[in-house]
Amino acid sequence: MARNRIKPQGGFELTAWYFMRISGLMLVFLAVGHLFIMHIANNVENINYAFVAGRWANPRTGWIWRLWDMSMIALAMFHGFNGLRQILDEHVHGAKARVAMHTTLWAVMTTLLVLGTYAIWMFQVDKAYVEQFKAMNSGAGSHASVK
Amino acid sequence: MSTILPEPHAYRPGKLARLKEGLRYQGGIGQWSWLLHRVTGVGILIFLIIHVLDTFFVVFNPALYDHTVAIYGGVFGGQYFWPLRWAFRLAELGLMATVLYHAINGVRVILFDFWSEGCKYQKESFVAVLIVFLALMVPAAVVVILPLASSPDHMVKVPANTPNP
Repeated sequence: MARNRIKPQGGFELTAWYFMRISGLMLVFLAVGHLFIMHIANNVENINYAFVAGRWANPRTGWIWRLWDMSMIALAMFHGFNGLRQILDEHVHGAKARVAMHTTLWAVMTTLLVLGTYAIWMFQVDKAYVEQFKAMNSGAGSHASVK
Repeated sequence: MSTILPEPHAYRPGKLARLKEGLRYQGGIGQWSWLLHRVTGVGILIFLIIHVLDTFFVVFNPALYDHTVAIYGGVFGGQYFWPLRWAFRLAELGLMATVLYHAINGVRVILFDFWSEGCKYQKESFVAVLIVFLALMVPAAVVVILPLASSPDHMVKVPANTPNP
């Protein structure tokens, strides 16, 4: 039979409990939408530097994609690392090991979030590179090289 | 509805006790859907760490980014390897299945928390999760796997490394 659900009674754990549910619902749209755009609407083999540049550096819609990706990475990082913390909290019992585990999780999460935030907002198109890439890959003739 | 349950009895040393604690719901749909939710969650997080790192290449080395994503299409070191392309296609499908299960089952978990009758229908709602999962996953699988029937559009050639200004 169904038992009562466990819900934290207050403090950080209750905040985390609500955060996991709210961010989870938002990620259903952000992450599943991202997968749909990248893997169903587009062929994943056509994703390259020029494709990323066309999204992030688009003068009209670029800010929407940057905002989408920023929300997604921030929510996913906190959601994912908090989920991993909850799992490891049940399996890591030593006091020192717990401190080390929490410190590592926070450090890795912060590093990834900083890298992602930097990439999303500091991105500038290397136009010379894109031109060179397009010149090298234009024409159907290169198809023949695939055996 | 929420209550604090007593400290779980299985917080004891020993591998057997750990295993029992890991499978705490004594079998059944509730336990396996919970375990699958955890496993898919960790799987998505591992992918996400790799994905953030490879996408970071776009800001400091466009050529490195293009070399990396070309591997996903089966092109490595300027040569095309079809098993590489197949492996990444299947992994892509696995990633989609993993995210979809975690998303749909996550909504089920939220229903348990905010709808007091929700837990009574945990088995029925898991069947609903499976139906929604398959309804989305079958067409997605067709779209993802179909390109494997033909060779890639073109061989990707990546320009020599140019530092991003």
